[in-house]
Amino acid sequence: MVSSKMKSLSVCLRFVALIFSVLFLHAAESPDPAAVERGRKQFVSSCGFCHGDDATGNRAPDLVRSALVNHDVGGDQLGPVIRAGRPDKGMPGFPFTDAQIADVAAFLHARTREALMSARVPRDYPLAKLLTGNAEAGKAFFNGAGGCAQCHSPAGDLKGISHKYTPLMLQHNMLSPRGPAPTVTVTLPSGDAVKGTLEHLDEFEVALRDADGWYRSWSRDKVKDIEVNDPLAAHRELMPKLTDADVHNIFAYLETL
Amino acid sequence: MRRALPLLVSFATLASAGGLHLKDLTKDPTTTWPTYNGDYSGKRYSTLDQINTSNVGSLALAWAFRAHSVPIKSTPLLVDGILYFTVPDNVWAVDARSGRMIWHYHYVSDGGDHIGNRGVGMYGDWLYFETPDCHLVSLNAKDGSVRWKVQLADVKLGYFSTMSPLIIGDHVIVGVSGDVTDIPGFLDARDPETGKLQWRWYTEPKPGEPGSETWPAHSDAITHGGGMTWMTGTYDPKLNLLYWGIGNPNPVLAGAGRPGDNLFTCSIVALNPDTGKLVWYFQPSPHDDHDWDAVQTPIVFDGEFQGKPRHLIAQASRNGYFFLLDRETGKHLLTKPFIETNWALGIDSRGEPIRNPKKDPQPDGALVSPGSDGATNWLAPSYSPQTGLFYVSSRRLWSIFYLTAEGKAEGWGGRDQNLWAESQIRAIDYKTGAIRWSHDIGKGEGRTGILTTAGGVLFSGDNSDNLLALDAATGKTLWHVNTGAGSDNSPMTYLLDGRQYVLYATGDMIFTFALPAKN
Repeated sequence: MVSSKMKSLSVCLRFVALIFSVLFLHAAESPDPAAVERGRKQFVSSCGFCHGDDATGNRAPDLVRSALVNHDVGGDQLGPVIRAGRPDKGMPGFPFTDAQIADVAAFLHARTREALMSARVPRDYPLAKLLTGNAEAGKAFFNGAGGCAQCHSPAGDLKGISHKYTPLMLQHNMLSPRGPAPTVTVTLPSGDAVKGTLEHLDEFEVALRDADGWYRSWSRDKVKDIEVNDPLAAHRELMPKLTDADVHNIFAYLETL
Repeated sequence: MRRALPLLVSFATLASAGGLHLKDLTKDPTTTWPTYNGDYSGKRYSTLDQINTSNVGSLALAWAFRAHSVPIKSTPLLVDGILYFTVPDNVWAVDARSGRMIWHYHYVSDGGDHIGNRGVGMYGDWLYFETPDCHLVSLNAKDGSVRWKVQLADVKLGYFSTMSPLIIGDHVIVGVSGDVTDIPGFLDARDPETGKLQWRWYTEPKPGEPGSETWPAHSDAITHGGGMTWMTGTYDPKLNLLYWGIGNPNPVLAGAGRPGDNLFTCSIVALNPDTGKLVWYFQPSPHDDHDWDAVQTPIVFDGEFQGKPRHLIAQASRNGYFFLLDRETGKHLLTKPFIETNWALGIDSRGEPIRNPKKDPQPDGALVSPGSDGATNWLAPSYSPQTGLFYVSSRRLWSIFYLTAEGKAEGWGGRDQNLWAESQIRAIDYKTGAIRWSHDIGKGEGRTGILTTAGGVLFSGDNSDNLLALDAATGKTLWHVNTGAGSDNSPMTYLLDGRQYVLYATGDMIFTFALPAKN
């Protein structure tokens, strides 16, 4: 509890400190891959039969979700249980050395970490998982109903596209590309038209950067007309019409380029 | 409110000078805003009309306060001229007349997710504050000193807490949050004097209890099924029913290990607040695997439906559907999408959307509307009895969902990639589900809640940092101001010294606006 305005700076600094401490903790918790691998082998040979080779449970509980594992630091909680077993639940004791316990703990912490990090798609997501479509059907859609050929060409901008991006990035960019900023023409009450690259547009203001590089803005109620030309508009208009088959077929086609 | 009567007597002495009287909790929020939503109904409708459609264009800054913090996501309480609001680990008391700080409390948490905090609850002279490491702290509202703290759940298992506690009679109702780890959600009633547990209701039934048949047998899925109680619920004092929106099941995107509807995740539940017993439930997203929790405020209001006066409850849910129920029985009355969705095959006889399994997350990606961020989210909705319209900050949001889990899924087991989004404020005719008007607020995902008033004004924010005042009947813009940052907050309003203030937080700033003072 504080009662001085001067303390507001210290609040700010505390947040900075918190962010650093979180980053540091994450770095500190990064497990040693060699220890994890030794621990995995140890776990599979001694524990996997009951707890599952990946520790997600079998006849004995899932250890990724275990309170004991989540409270453990370097084997301090796991060690006594591994050595003494849980005879009331049918678990025998294992005469592990300190090093073996540390390794098994490292493996289990790596498994819980994998669960914590599971809300993502790895950047190196394999092509084989994504390549479920029909390239010929994708090509037909590209040239036909999809309207893709109106702006894109396999011999032009899309030449070698499959080599420019990872498969996952290609699928994302295909659906929602980053592209050139929209251009805009603002017609003033005088009838003069100002053209440029769109900088901002909301319900109240429009702003552009003109050919000379100057930023210019207007209240929307002070201009006669605003015409935006967004080169990516077709992608957004297409999205609600796409089936999953379309997505996978076009992707398969782009992977041939 | 059977149990409230004797407490009113004790409060006459307990809270003679300042503090919050229980009777304030059942009044329209005017000179007091005593709970997260202003009152038990969740309407976020103020009967104040000093600021109205004819003069809102004259609004001017009254005062500003800077917290020097992460963004403020709480709605302040207002009691006896003092505002109380929070960010994770921090509580402020600020003079509502001037914006001057009275005290600041800092909590040192032992880890935990600091994603946000929705505010404090109040009872008598005491505040109740939930922490990132999942504790409940009671503070003296006079000076911010700590009275006690109790643990709600084990932060090491992935629990944290964000919500604003709700006071009902002599119960402090508190929920918990979680995200990645596969832990069971619950709702607690705590003793306001001691923090002691009165009852706990788990959002998954115990094996063998009603609802457990919606989980696989011979599996640990039901005991690790998620269902967090993220957001403050609502309450009907006459029926003595507590309404709560329940979070999504875990593992989040990988549902293969938990076949079935997975009750009571993604449900609206009615509980007896004195016992914690379930009275009825309705499930907006049976067997969710898109992270579409059903924690959006279920608003309590009375109105006509098909020619009959009804006690209603309505939710615009994260999955893109608007649901209208009878709040006495949970009987379903209406289901209508409020954005275009593509994940349901239809609506079943219970009024619940029928999930299309092809739109579940897939290894090669499934294109789904809405994305996991939802057609709406924590952003407070509003209902105006004046217009009969239900207001929601909505999103048209397309995303591609990947299932990455192999073997037994733990945590999320996949992720979606947002492709594009644009947002609107939408007015829903609760009788038909029709969109009466839709006001575009820009590309991207709207993050601001809604306030409506008897002045016929709707306050909210757009995606370009503007605070908007719209005509609640038509959606037409009446006034706006660029506040310099986006708002993760919901505006509130209060009357002090005869002057109506509209309070809006953006970033770490609080701004209040009022009509120009008459000198």
